[in-house]
Parts: sequence; structure tokens; C-alpha cells
Amino acid sequence: MGDGPVIALQDVTKVYRQGSVDIHALRGLSMEVEPGEFTAVCGPSGSGKTTMLNLIGALDAATSGSIVLEGQELGSLNKKELSELRRDRIGFVFQAYNLMPVLTAYENAEMVLWVQGVDAATRRERVMGLLEQVGLKGLEDRRPSELSGGQQQRVAIARAIASNPAVVLADEPTANVDSETAETLLGLMEELNREQGVTFLFSTHDPQVMERARRVVRLVDGNIASDQRR
Amino acid sequence: MKILRMAWRNLWRNGRRTLVTVGAMTLALWAMVLYTSLMQGMLGSMESTLLDVELGEIQIHADGYLERPSIWERIEEPDALLEALDETGLRSSARLLGGALVASGDASTGALLKGLRPDRDAQVSDVYQRLDRGEWLDAADASGVVLGYRLARTLGIDVGDELIALSQATDGSMANDLFRVRGVLQSLSEETDRATVFLVEDQFRSFFALEDGAHQVIVRSGEGQTLDAAGEMAQQATAASAPGAEVKSWRDLLPGLANVFDSAQAAVQVVAFVVYVVIAIMILNAMLMAVFERIREFGVLKAIGVSPRRVLALILTEGALQAALAIAIGLVASAPALWFVTTRGIDVGQLGGTAIMGVSMDRIWTGAISPATIAGPVFILLFIVGLAVLFPAFKAARISPIEAIHHQ
Repeated sequence: MGDGPVIALQDVTKVYRQGSVDIHALRGLSMEVEPGEFTAVCGPSGSGKTTMLNLIGALDAATSGSIVLEGQELGSLNKKELSELRRDRIGFVFQAYNLMPVLTAYENAEMVLWVQGVDAATRRERVMGLLEQVGLKGLEDRRPSELSGGQQQRVAIARAIASNPAVVLADEPTANVDSETAETLLGLMEELNREQGVTFLFSTHDPQVMERARRVVRLVDGNIASDQRR
Repeated sequence: MKILRMAWRNLWRNGRRTLVTVGAMTLALWAMVLYTSLMQGMLGSMESTLLDVELGEIQIHADGYLERPSIWERIEEPDALLEALDETGLRSSARLLGGALVASGDASTGALLKGLRPDRDAQVSDVYQRLDRGEWLDAADASGVVLGYRLARTLGIDVGDELIALSQATDGSMANDLFRVRGVLQSLSEETDRATVFLVEDQFRSFFALEDGAHQVIVRSGEGQTLDAAGEMAQQATAASAPGAEVKSWRDLLPGLANVFDSAQAAVQVVAFVVYVVIAIMILNAMLMAVFERIREFGVLKAIGVSPRRVLALILTEGALQAALAIAIGLVASAPALWFVTTRGIDVGQLGGTAIMGVSMDRIWTGAISPATIAGPVFILLFIVGLAVLFPAFKAARISPIEAIHHQ
């Protein structure tokens, strides 16, 4: 990894076919995200926020253009390499938490490390530390159904950062929690960003997120309408 | 380990569905173990009746006797042949066979008289143990005969009654004699039940005025000896002491029945397969539902980098755990049922004596137990569960994370 941007999008387009109609979700979008940035991508519904995150997260492929993550062109990777890239370099936080309901908070948080093949002792040390950091000490053995929405999202954050990813992609992370919980979650992510240099890229409608973000990228009709750094 | 834990917990997310699926598998396994045991028991009993009581593994006849059975077609020096067979270690006994009209009161019917030496014959045939009532032949009781049970019924006679036999003796005279029924056999085979009269050799010779020779030599193979090996030894002994006589294995004598025995095991497995296919559809349905309900979860797993192979392993493990539970419960539940059918058996009442390919079923149908009784049904269950789970497992493994995460 060099000193360059962690993410670089160049002239990216994404066209979905819906019946006989082509939907242009992204129209030649270009942007870069530097390491340690705390960026919110906002815009109206259908502006391409989620599509952009999906493309950066290697969950979907661009129709044209280039997406580079830590110097790796995603378009040149096969499915297996993309899966390994997601496992090792990208953390995901979803709007609906998306934790495994049969696993405890601890087991959910250690999932990525387990998939990476990290040994049990190292996993335990890392995950216990993370759960304490996100304020879930003592709740390690609870399953998602025994946790509040905010607590579940904290587990999701712990899972996302457990493997020290290059970037955490958070799709509307505060959409399902009340404003007080949202504030706490944002504070937690800000702290992780500030103290550990974790790069966050959010898609959001939430004004709270936009207020806290140090960079706000506004999308309209699949392209960047404004890009403000604070 | 984590996959095993996840799979186990996933099963109990919808405990009722899992219990119904495992219950169906258990019931199928239980039924198939029992069915296999009963079929093995029936076939074993038929084979035992056929070989231990009726045919022996090998029979030797004078050349041409089998094509045209006749009292004239005899092995001329049976004692020399028996001696030669004794030297090879094969057990053997000679029998004399001749047709006669047997009668009692107003009833009469054709029958095959079988003359034998009771002491020697007991080495090759268990027929003396298969009496329904009365006693077996005794060399000291020259006029005593033992009948097949349907023959006794046809003639309306029982133990102690008189039996008249008429035939043509080998010297051209009219053979006729009065015998006394010593015993009536259990149902053994169509031929024995309907038309066989056993008597001691000397009485047979006297009746038919037959001084020497024998029509049939029954040979039994040694413990653990293959049919081919025993046949080869019998062949050599015959070539030396009774040249020209025909040596036939029971498979040569009854090829149709030999095929039935050969294909019976396959038939058991076909029935098991059909039963399990029904179960497989149920498992397929349950696993497909389980996969569809968790599409988002599989999407998340794949999004965070869990490989398709691991997702596949998760679903397969869920299927394997259900099968393992069913096998454990099914086998435990089979134990008392197996104990019952192998020790007590099922009284088939009127079906007892029903002939299958000429060999009669016992009145008490007992099961048999061998490694195959358990291994066959278990193996087929595992195979079917594997097949049924494979499709949902591949479906889950191939899910596109982006579509799965946004699945409603």
C-alpha cells in the first residue's frame, strides 16, 4: 500500500437493465478517498449512493470505468480474488445490521477473523478488545435477538473493523436507530476514525451523519453534484 | 468447528420443521432396517430350507436322469462314490427315487418315494428335524414312512395311519405294500409338501425290487467352502468312482431360484430407495425453505468474504446433522423391534406354507441380523439426504451477495 488514495473511482458508470429499460445509476463518476477520511455520501433516493458503495465494496461490477482499491483495479480480479479482497480489506456495516442470528455478539464479531484463518487466541484477544471498545463488554454471549438495535450495530461495527480493513463501507448505518443511538454510534465511528485511522465511507440521508462527516459528497442523478471537505 | 456450531444452531431456529424432518428420516430408517431384517430372514430361511433340507449344494445323478427321470437310470456303485466323496471331506448321502400311486381309504394320488439311510442322510439334510408331528424314519421300523403335510391332508391320514403304495417294480412285477405313517413334515416346498413319501432304503429296494444303485447323491460343501470349490472336488471324486455321472450345483438345478436369491438384496435396496425418495422430497422442501428464509444471511456471509465452499459446507452440515440424529434415534428405536423379529418372529398364520418359487415360507417369519441389515439402510439414507441437500446447498453457495442482501 502506497501513500495514494485508498479508493479511486474514474469515470465509473453503472447501468441496470429493468425489463427493456436501461437505468443509469452512475454516470461517469470520479472521486478519490484518502486514507483516514470520514466521508458521507448523500443525495436523494436513486441518486446512486448505494450503487457506489456496492461497486467500491466489490459486491457488484461497474459497467464501465475504473475502481481502484489500495492500488488494485477491481475489474481485473476474479470472483475468488474479489471475495478475498472483501474479506481482508473491506469492512461492511449494513442498515439492517445483518448479524448472524444464531451467533453471539462475540462470534459475530470474530467471523471475519475466523474466515481469514486467524488462530483462536489471537481472535479472542482482538475481538474482546473491540467489543470493549464499542461498549459491549459483558454482552459478548448475547445473541442479536437479545441486543437492542444500537447494540447490534455496534457488533456490526466491531465485525467490520476486526480485520483492520482499508475502508469501512457503511450503508445508512443510522437509519434503523433513534437519534440518540445514532449519535452514540457516530461518536464511536468518529473515535475509531480519529484514534485508529479507520477510513469510513457512509451513504446516508441522516443530517446527523452529514454534520459529523469531515467530507460530504452529494450525488445527484448518478454523478457528484458537490464535494465538500471540512 | 464454527460451521458445525452454526449448522446445529440453525437447525433449531425452526425446531418444529427440524423435528418433523428428522422424524420422517427416523421413521424411514426404522422401517427399512426392520424390512431388511425380515427380508434377510425370509430369504435366509428359504435358502436354508432349499439347501439344508431339500437340495444340498451339489447333486450327482446318473447321466440323463435329470432330463428323463427314471428308476432305471442309476449310479451303479453309489457306495464307491460316497467313499470317494468321504475322502475329499465332503458330506454325502445317496437316495433312491421312484414314483408310485399312494392311497388311503378312497383317496389316492401320485407321489415320489424317496428311499434313504436315516443315519447317513442326517449328515446332508435337516429334513429329519422338520417334522410337524410324529417321528422321523427309523431303520428298525421298515414299514414306517414320513409324508409331506399336504399329501397327508390330501389322503386324509395322520401319524399311525396306514398307507398303501402301488407301482411297477424293476423286475416287471406289481409293487404294492402297506406302510404306516410315522411322521408328517412341516411345509417345506411345493414338491415335498404335495407329493413326497420318505422311507428307509431297504424298504424302497424291497418295494421296487431294486438290488443296487442309487438315483441321487446329495453332497454338502464344507464350512466356508465356496460352491465352485466343492463342485470341483465332487467332480473329481465322481470322475474317479462313478464315471459319466452328472455333477450339478443347486444353481444349475434351479437357476431361476438362484437368480431370485441373487437379486433379492438388490430388490430390498430398490424398495429402500423408493421409500427414501419420498423422504428426500421432504428434506429437499425443508432445506429449500431454510435456504430461502436465510438468503440475506448467505448474502452477508459472502459479502464479508466467506467462500462459497464454506456456505456449501454449512448447508451440507445441516443435512448431515439431521441425518446423524435420525440414524442415532432410528437405530436405537430399531433395537427392540429387531430383537422381537429375530427372537420371536411374526406369526404369519395362514400365509405359512405359501410357496415362493417352490420354497415354502415358515409359519413364524423371523428376521435376520447382519452388518448389512444396518449398513444398507443407513448408507442409502445418507446418499439420499446428500442428494436432497445438494441442490439447496449449491443454491446458497452460488447466491450473489448483492442480490441476497437486498432480498426482501
